[in-house]
Amino acid sequence: MILSFETWQITLFSISVGLASTLLILPFGIALAWLFARKEWPLKSVIETAVLLPLVMPPVSTGLILLKIFGRRSPLGQWLYERGIEIVFNWKGVLIAMSVMSFPLLVRSVRTSFAEVNLRLEQIAATLGASPLRIFFVVTIPLAYKGIVAGALLAFSRALGEFGATILLAGNIPGQTQTLSLAIYNYVQLGKDSEAYTMLGITVGLAFLFVWCSEWLLRAERKN
Amino acid sequence: MRLCCRIPLATFELDVDASFDSRVTAIFGPSGSGKTTLLDAVAGLRDIATGEIEIGGKTLFSSARKINLSPQRRNIGYVPQEGALFPHLSVRRNILFGAERIVHAAGAKGIGMEHVLEILEIAHLLARPVTKLSGGEAQRVALARAILSRPQLLLLDEPLAALDIGLKEKILPYLARVRDEFAIPMIYVTHNVTEVLTLADWVLVIRGGRLLAQGAPKETLTSGRAVREIPEEQLENVFTVTFMESDKAAGRSRVRLSSGAEIFVPYLAQADRPTFQIRVSADDILVGIQRPEGISAGNILPGTVRAIDLIDDQALVSVDAGEDFCVRLTSGAVTRLALDVGCPVFLIIKTRSFRLL
Repeated sequence: MILSFETWQITLFSISVGLASTLLILPFGIALAWLFARKEWPLKSVIETAVLLPLVMPPVSTGLILLKIFGRRSPLGQWLYERGIEIVFNWKGVLIAMSVMSFPLLVRSVRTSFAEVNLRLEQIAATLGASPLRIFFVVTIPLAYKGIVAGALLAFSRALGEFGATILLAGNIPGQTQTLSLAIYNYVQLGKDSEAYTMLGITVGLAFLFVWCSEWLLRAERKN
Repeated sequence: MRLCCRIPLATFELDVDASFDSRVTAIFGPSGSGKTTLLDAVAGLRDIATGEIEIGGKTLFSSARKINLSPQRRNIGYVPQEGALFPHLSVRRNILFGAERIVHAAGAKGIGMEHVLEILEIAHLLARPVTKLSGGEAQRVALARAILSRPQLLLLDEPLAALDIGLKEKILPYLARVRDEFAIPMIYVTHNVTEVLTLADWVLVIRGGRLLAQGAPKETLTSGRAVREIPEEQLENVFTVTFMESDKAAGRSRVRLSSGAEIFVPYLAQADRPTFQIRVSADDILVGIQRPEGISAGNILPGTVRAIDLIDDQALVSVDAGEDFCVRLTSGAVTRLALDVGCPVFLIIKTRSFRLL
């Protein structure tokens, strides 16, 4: 089966914005996960809960909140608009929606793998004169990297599947904000079954690949 | 070195105040008495409620003066019980991990990698992944890593506890070599008397977070208060001896105690070092008030009773026979022989009751 230009375009758009969102949240996710796993600070549990919220809230609700935050009538949206940046109804909206929705998955996964790193090793590294930064990059990260990669894969998969928040914040504009999920919805609405099934095949294949990779990495980490 | 700290723990409070100036200080006590906590506090890995830690005139921690150096700046080498090697790094990278530390102990510049590898016999392990090391090898690598960070103090937390008996006796000489070759003071945590007597020149006996006794190992561990902390089978005498000659046919070797007295120990082909250590259990020594005749035991040493400590139904008899021997008798035996301080006695020790270290 030869994929149409449109199908290619939608697939590539989804993958590249998904990838961008994962790369965008990776440093923040790692930093926050480390703070959760290693430090005690005031309001920690409140922040932890807030970060996990998009995981359990209806995505549409999250989308609505994002729309209120980034819409042109909000102070932030206004401020951005005056500087020529518009989030709503273009690819940046897709990026924000994907990032926010996949962030909790990344943080949870990375946090767990940080917690599994033997604290004793970090302590001994400190007695050997290693600075906190060196301990983080030479001891903690290498020992947790499989969990970090698995978390990133999971976040990327979640980003690809994003629907509810995206459609509210970015709309469903073919050639501009239409992702795989939005396209499937669109094709089903229009009764274009074969196109919908092609898209379905692509999403199932990608999701399977990423979840399988992520599980394989987590298993390998547990074995160590 | 001054070690004074109070740390509240879940079930008891660790409260220790000790000052010592020794090469190897043993912290001796049963498991769960707060020994590891104490090491963690010295290394700066644990909060101390109040107290003061000072090494060689340098204050590492003082609650009164609000000083609390980070572990990085304390310049202390720590070998934890489990070794804690970095599993993702090779043996070489583990060993060199602390080598580029900025603050080195004064006088530690002379510690070279080649020398450390040679003393611990681990040069052949350098390229190996850490996961492919045996327990004894891992301990030596952890020790090398700590030494090469050129610390002003080495903390060893039961380095032999996880090893089986055969291996323990192999590693013990390495520790003695480290003590003799590198001028690094050590604090050595253990619940094994032999290790204290073999390695340490000062001992702190702790139990339930309290300091029960401290002093020179031999006197301290055979005194009334500390002896109750010693497992039944562990009350021992350890001596440093000089090799004289071996007699294979007779199955024994002749060695000389530092007092000049000579004794027979089980046969050893060739001493790889001119002096080494031997031990004999306090339960394997007989006491006679006359010189016995016609018995198999190879060693009969004349001496004088120096002290008798009655502990419950046991008597710890300290006999000066050139060296101090600690003998454990029943309280009945002391009465029967009418032993008292100053009595002349004979110590009867089988050749095979001596163990070589």
